[in-house]
Amino acid sequence: MDHRQQVRQFVLKNFLFTDDASALADGDSLIGNGIVDSTGILELIGFLEETHGIRIAPEEMVPANFDSIDAISAFLARRLGA
Amino acid sequence: MIALADRVAAIALSEPQRIALVQGAQRVDYGSFIDAARRFAGFLRAAGCRRGDRVALIVPNRIEAAIAWYGAWIAGAAVVPLNAQARARDFAPWLRHAGVRVLVHEAAGREAIAAAAELAAAPLRIVLDAASAGADATGWTQALASEPLASEPVEPSALAAILYTSGTTGAPKGVMLSHANFAANVEAIVAYLGLTAEDSIVSILPFYYSYGASVLHTHLAFGARLVIEPNLVFPHLIVETLARERASGFSGVPSTYALLLDRVPLADYDLGALRYLTQAGGAMAPALAARLRAALPGTALYVMYGQTEATARLTYLPPDRLDDKPGSAGIAIPGVRLTIRDEAGRDLPPGADGEVWAQGPGVMSGYWNDPEASAAVLHEGWLRTGDLGRLDEDGFLFLAGRRSDMIKTGAHRVHPLDVEEAIAELAEVAEVAVVGIDDATLGQAIKAVIVPAAGAAPDADRIKAHCRARLAAYKIPKQVQFVAALPKTASGKIRRALLTEPAAAQEAS
Repeated sequence: MDHRQQVRQFVLKNFLFTDDASALADGDSLIGNGIVDSTGILELIGFLEETHGIRIAPEEMVPANFDSIDAISAFLARRLGA
Repeated sequence: MIALADRVAAIALSEPQRIALVQGAQRVDYGSFIDAARRFAGFLRAAGCRRGDRVALIVPNRIEAAIAWYGAWIAGAAVVPLNAQARARDFAPWLRHAGVRVLVHEAAGREAIAAAAELAAAPLRIVLDAASAGADATGWTQALASEPLASEPVEPSALAAILYTSGTTGAPKGVMLSHANFAANVEAIVAYLGLTAEDSIVSILPFYYSYGASVLHTHLAFGARLVIEPNLVFPHLIVETLARERASGFSGVPSTYALLLDRVPLADYDLGALRYLTQAGGAMAPALAARLRAALPGTALYVMYGQTEATARLTYLPPDRLDDKPGSAGIAIPGVRLTIRDEAGRDLPPGADGEVWAQGPGVMSGYWNDPEASAAVLHEGWLRTGDLGRLDEDGFLFLAGRRSDMIKTGAHRVHPLDVEEAIAELAEVAEVAVVGIDDATLGQAIKAVIVPAAGAAPDADRIKAHCRARLAAYKIPKQVQFVAALPKTASGKIRRALLTEPAAAQEAS
C-alpha cells in the first residue's frame, strides 16, 4: 500500500469513521472541514511518525504540510526521499 | 449611547490608515474597513433589505465576516451570526426561525446552500470566494461594488443581533441583543481591561459566539487592532503570531490555555508586548491558572464570566485579586448588578448558594419569537442565568455549576438532547443518553451511552459517522458505550450523573 493510501485509510477510519473512500477527496481541506482538530492533528502526526519511523519537527507542523491528503503525501515524499 | 458602527466610522474619519484587521498577509485599515462596510450596506439597501431585516452570516472568522457584520448594522439590519461549524440540519431551523432575508456564506459552504434551499422563502445569498455566484446569488466582490450608504441614526433599542445559543434543533433559542446592549457591554469591557487604540489582540474565538463577538467589537470600537487566526490546530503558530504582531492581548477558554501550555515552549518566544490574557467560557481550574501565570509572569490574567443573554460579559476578576480570591469569577462589571436567589426568587445573603441573577444594560430583551422562554428567564429587568453560585462578603462571585445538563467542550456548548436526537435516528439504537465526561484538555468530552435495539449489533464507528454527517464536528461523541439499560429514577428520568463516571466494562471507543 502506498503512503497516500495509508494516510487516506487512517483519516477515513479515525476521523470520518468509515471505509467509504468517497467520503473524502485528496484535495479536501482537513482543517477547514473540521475533520482534523487540535487533538486530531496529534493523532495524525503520531501515526505518521510511528509508521515511517520519522520525527516531525515543530517547524514542519504547518497547514501547508497537513491540510489535505495531497499535502501529507507530498510532505511524506519529501521527508522519505521517495 | 454611541452605536458601535458610529464609533468605528469616527475612527475611520480621524485615522483612516490605522490598521483594524489583520489576517495572514492581509491588513485592512479603518478607512477601507468602513468603506467596504458602507458598500455592503448600500448593496443591502438596494436589494430591498429594510431596517430590522435579518442578515445571517455562515462564515468562519475572516475579515469579510466583520465587514458584513458592520455593513448590516449600517443598513439598519440585524445580524444573525450562525455557528459556521454546524450542519444543514441546524442551519435550516435557525434561518427559518429568524426569518432571514439575506444570507452570507462561503462558496464552499455546501451545508449553508443546502439549508437555504430548504426554506419556503429563499434568502438572498451573498457568496464569498465565488468566481461566479450563480444566477440565484450575488458574489461578494459584486456586492461591494455598490454605492456606499451613509451612516444613519441608530435607535438604541433597535434589534442589532440574534445569537442562537446551543439549544436543540427542535427549539432554536435566539438571544435578541439591541444596539444599546452591545454599546454598554463593550464600554464596560474596554474600561476594566483598560483597552486603548494602542492595543492589539490575536483572536481565535469565533465571532458567532458572544465571547468572540465581544473581542471583535471591543477592539474595532476603540481603534485597536484585531489579528485573526483561523483555529488552534497548530498552537505554536498562534504564539508565533502573538510574537510577530507584538500583540498586547489574547483571549481564550480554559482548553485554549491548556493546549498552549502543553504544546508550546512559551519561554522560547518574545511575548514582551503581551499585556493581558482573558479567560471565559467555563471555569478554569486554579492549577491551570497558576501554570499560566508562571509561564507568563509579566502578563495580567483576567478571569471572566458571562452569558450570551447578557451580550457577553457579567463579571471579571481583577488580576491583582487572583491570589486572595482563588476560584472566583470576580465582581460585576460596571453597570451590572448581581444577586443570588433561592428557587422562589428571594434574595439570599452572602455566602449562601443559589441561582445567579443579573441586571444591567447588557441584558437581552428576550428570545426571538419566544415569549414563553423569555418569561422563564427575565423577571422585572433581571436575568436568571441558570448558573449556581454564591457571592462572598466582598461581592466576589463563586460559581458552582449549572442547573442544566449543557456540556462545555472546548469553546463549545452542547445540549445533550441535540446529539441524542441525531443518534436516535439510527434504527439500531433503542435508547441513548449523552453526557459530558471529564477531559484533561477539553474540560468535558462528549460520551454517548447507547442501548441497542433488540437483535441489533450497533457499531461505534457507524454511530460516529452518522453524527459526523448530521452534527457539527465538535458534537461527535469521543466515546461510545453500549449498555443493556440506562440507569433511571423511579419516575423514568435518566440518571445522567451516574453515566459520567468512568465505565468499568463494555467500553468501546
